[in-house]
Amino acid sequence: MFWRGVVLRLRALLFRHRMDEELEEELQSHIHMQAWKNRSGKLDPAEAMRLARLQFGSFVCATEECREQRGISSVEILAKDVHFAFRMLRKSPGFTTVALLTLALGIGANTAIFSVVNAVLLRPLPYADPSRLVLVSEARPQSGISGLGMSYPPFTELREGSHAFSAIAGFGAHALVLTGYGEPSEVSTVVVTSEFFSVLAAEPLLGRVFIPEDSRRGAAAVVVLSENLWRNRFGADAGIVGRSVTLDMRPYTVIGVMPASFHTPFVNQANQVWIPLAQDPLFSVWMTKPPGEHWMAVIARVRSGISSTEVQAELDTVGARLAKEFPAEKGWAIRIEPLQQAITGDVKLPLLLLLVAVGLVLLIACLNVANLLLSRATSRSKELAIRIALGAGKGRIARQLLTECAILGMLGGLIGTLVAYWGVATLVPLLPPGLPKFHSVRVDGWVLVFAFVLSLATSLVFGLAPVLSVAGSDPHKELGEGARAGESAGPRRARALLAVGEIALAMVLLTGAGLLMRSFAQLTSVNPGFEPHHVVKAMVSLPQFQYSTPKQWAAFSEELTTRLRAQPGMQDSAIAGPLPIVDCCVTLDFQIVGNPPLEEGAADAANYVPVSPRYFGVMGIPLVRGRLFNESDSSSTPAVALISEALAKRYFPNEDPLGRHLMFGFPVNGIVSREIVGIVGDIHDVSLGKEPGPMLYVPYAQAPLYGAEVVVKSTLSSSAVVGAIRTVTHGIDKNLPVTDIAPLPEVLNASVAQPRFRTLLLGLFAAIGLMLAAVGIFGVISYSVSRRTHELGIRMALGAQPGSVLGMILRETLALTLIGIAVGVSCALAAARLITHLLFKVPPYDPVTLGLVSLVLVAVGALAGYIPARRAMRVDPVVALRHE
Amino acid sequence: MAPDATRLDLLQGTLDLLILRALRSEAMHGWAVSERIQQISQDILQVNQGSLYPALHRLEHRGWIKAEWGISELGRRARFYALTAAGRKQLEIETENWSMLSEAIARVLRMA
Repeated sequence: MFWRGVVLRLRALLFRHRMDEELEEELQSHIHMQAWKNRSGKLDPAEAMRLARLQFGSFVCATEECREQRGISSVEILAKDVHFAFRMLRKSPGFTTVALLTLALGIGANTAIFSVVNAVLLRPLPYADPSRLVLVSEARPQSGISGLGMSYPPFTELREGSHAFSAIAGFGAHALVLTGYGEPSEVSTVVVTSEFFSVLAAEPLLGRVFIPEDSRRGAAAVVVLSENLWRNRFGADAGIVGRSVTLDMRPYTVIGVMPASFHTPFVNQANQVWIPLAQDPLFSVWMTKPPGEHWMAVIARVRSGISSTEVQAELDTVGARLAKEFPAEKGWAIRIEPLQQAITGDVKLPLLLLLVAVGLVLLIACLNVANLLLSRATSRSKELAIRIALGAGKGRIARQLLTECAILGMLGGLIGTLVAYWGVATLVPLLPPGLPKFHSVRVDGWVLVFAFVLSLATSLVFGLAPVLSVAGSDPHKELGEGARAGESAGPRRARALLAVGEIALAMVLLTGAGLLMRSFAQLTSVNPGFEPHHVVKAMVSLPQFQYSTPKQWAAFSEELTTRLRAQPGMQDSAIAGPLPIVDCCVTLDFQIVGNPPLEEGAADAANYVPVSPRYFGVMGIPLVRGRLFNESDSSSTPAVALISEALAKRYFPNEDPLGRHLMFGFPVNGIVSREIVGIVGDIHDVSLGKEPGPMLYVPYAQAPLYGAEVVVKSTLSSSAVVGAIRTVTHGIDKNLPVTDIAPLPEVLNASVAQPRFRTLLLGLFAAIGLMLAAVGIFGVISYSVSRRTHELGIRMALGAQPGSVLGMILRETLALTLIGIAVGVSCALAAARLITHLLFKVPPYDPVTLGLVSLVLVAVGALAGYIPARRAMRVDPVVALRHE
Repeated sequence: MAPDATRLDLLQGTLDLLILRALRSEAMHGWAVSERIQQISQDILQVNQGSLYPALHRLEHRGWIKAEWGISELGRRARFYALTAAGRKQLEIETENWSMLSEAIARVLRMA
């Protein structure tokens, strides 16, 4: 029945012309038959036809009534409403422009931010059945350590014995040097166990992926290339499979190419290769060592039908078994986390914060448009009253007003989508580098659907006010209002309420932005503990197979720093393991020699850096006590170490650490006892936002690495320094890649990219919100002034001074603003609590921010009210009394 | 045709019933429906053409009758209407309603 009706209606709508023709034919046929009947009454044909027409009555009326029975009236009404709405919008171009711009800005900004949220948070990871993928990690709950990688032995335990996982794989990432095709360069190398691609269910573009045989000891060295590298370095050579490439001076046979759509979790680089763990010069050593080094990221696919509690139960059993088997595993537990959450966890809160903020902007925009519509509805009240008096139903008028709003919303959405395209293009280069890049940020189908739904929802929100005001209106009163141009209290109160709402929302936005700005200012004014100015850093890695002994590494770095210092204009240079903030960090457990052993499972840990003697001078890290390293500290002299003040304070609170010994080191080099020879100043090793922790420094000559960061201090321009580093390095060995070159201040700057990004955007949104709220207040006050011209005229005629009129209007404005602020403060305090995690050294209830924001709002409110108030002051009583 | 004392205008709503009744035995076109009603009522009930066709279209819309193009006695194309199953049921309901109503009215009139 229902569907029949729909079909008939659709037919009526789509084949309207044909149905009209059919209707006419049917009625004509009736008349002909009537004429035929009349003819049998002996009338001549013409007369019979005339009589038949007469008998039929009005042909047009019958046609019209039949048409109405088809039930297309609602569609036609809609068409008429749309037509009328466009006419109304064209008739008031000022209103239309302001409303459309406001909406386009709000919807556009929302759509742009949503496209980021959609790409980063909402779209599932691009792997088959991604909901079953988990990250497996090790945690030491006692020490509050969590989310660390796994050691190799626990991984193999899980791989052999797990029932909960259908597949499990481990991987790690570093860089190897690719030579032979163009400039020597570093490629991001993902070192994987052979199950890696099958866990992610990824298929190669060319060739094959790894099979278990590739991971056997003594198997041929093989490599899988990324499509990007294959295209850029190998010219998309279709015969690449089977060819040999050189990584760290060692040949690998290419077995496959992965499509560009495949992404290694947590590893963003486009130029990538994958090699089996057994073939890796760096990580393969861990395969035979006992556990202790948590270097490997482990992903697994949970068997279908197994819950996460069941998985955890199995992992707990395995963990308990491991703790018995390996002393180093005591106190460690194995945990799982959905892969998507592990990847997007860090950016979720900031992104949602931005989405909420931009939503508030749209809400303010809605209130603004609602306000405009209310003002217009009041001026149109007479028109509407006449229409109601002439018989239009209130429902019919409400429907027409809503149609107008929907048209406004849709047009706003349309322009907003254009704004969003532009916004996304602007936003993408600003996105912080840490953001997961599984899907490109763009305006796609879902984003368009979002924009459409948002436009409709927006129309409903701002359309509610005028419709409600019509529902409550009384045509009798409106028409009787006659010459009295006052305004009834209802709509006026409604508009004041809207303005208060706008101010409150703007308050919330401004507080959020203010807190983030203060927090960002705190963050960037943090003294990192070292002096980054005029320091340039670069990474030089030594191919493992060419420079295979620590002696060679030490010799190379000595040669490099000496030659660099000999360059004109270079003040000093040094070598260090991981640089602070740049590449965080190597944390090692240490033991204080002579102290009683710690209880089982507990360990003291500090960040570890091997440095060349002049490092502290280059970086400007002060010596507090004792001595720094010097050239005579070498592999043949006693092992020494420097500690940071934080370590000294925490572990030697009441004694002199100088002369004491600490046991620590990499398990490969063997853990050795080192004498503490000095204490140096604290630095922010991890990030500016994290308090300086305990640090251990050792002489580079006593613990060299196969590659390290070079830091050079020079007053020359950074490009000159960069050139010099390249020339000097290639003077020693032309096959060495020099990468990651950057002035240290830039690196520090980049390290706060995420907070900067969110602060910038929230600041922008708050500014837009403030502007819209100011326009809102301005609209309310100036409209109220224009409606009250008559009243103001009477006041002035009765002797009110212009100044007192000005004061009256300003008081009204301030009252609105203050109420808005009062409402806003409580909302802002509640909202600020949610972003406590994003704040650095600023409490969420920060009185300075709240005070400043309130002041700004009062100032903006006063300004917005002052313009119409001045107009009110200049009202000429004579003109005003005639005003209608 | 001038209004005639012996011809009654149809009560609102009864036209639908009459059309359904007229179509009970066979499909026919609009003119035949009006002729049939007039004929059976012995010219007492007069069907206004201006309301006949809207009524036919309304009934079609409700699914009680369906229309098909056919050839009339005159050899012209005409729309033939026929009862549907739903229409047959509706006819029963409305017939019953009508007899109840007319009986009730008759009773009231007799009392008075």
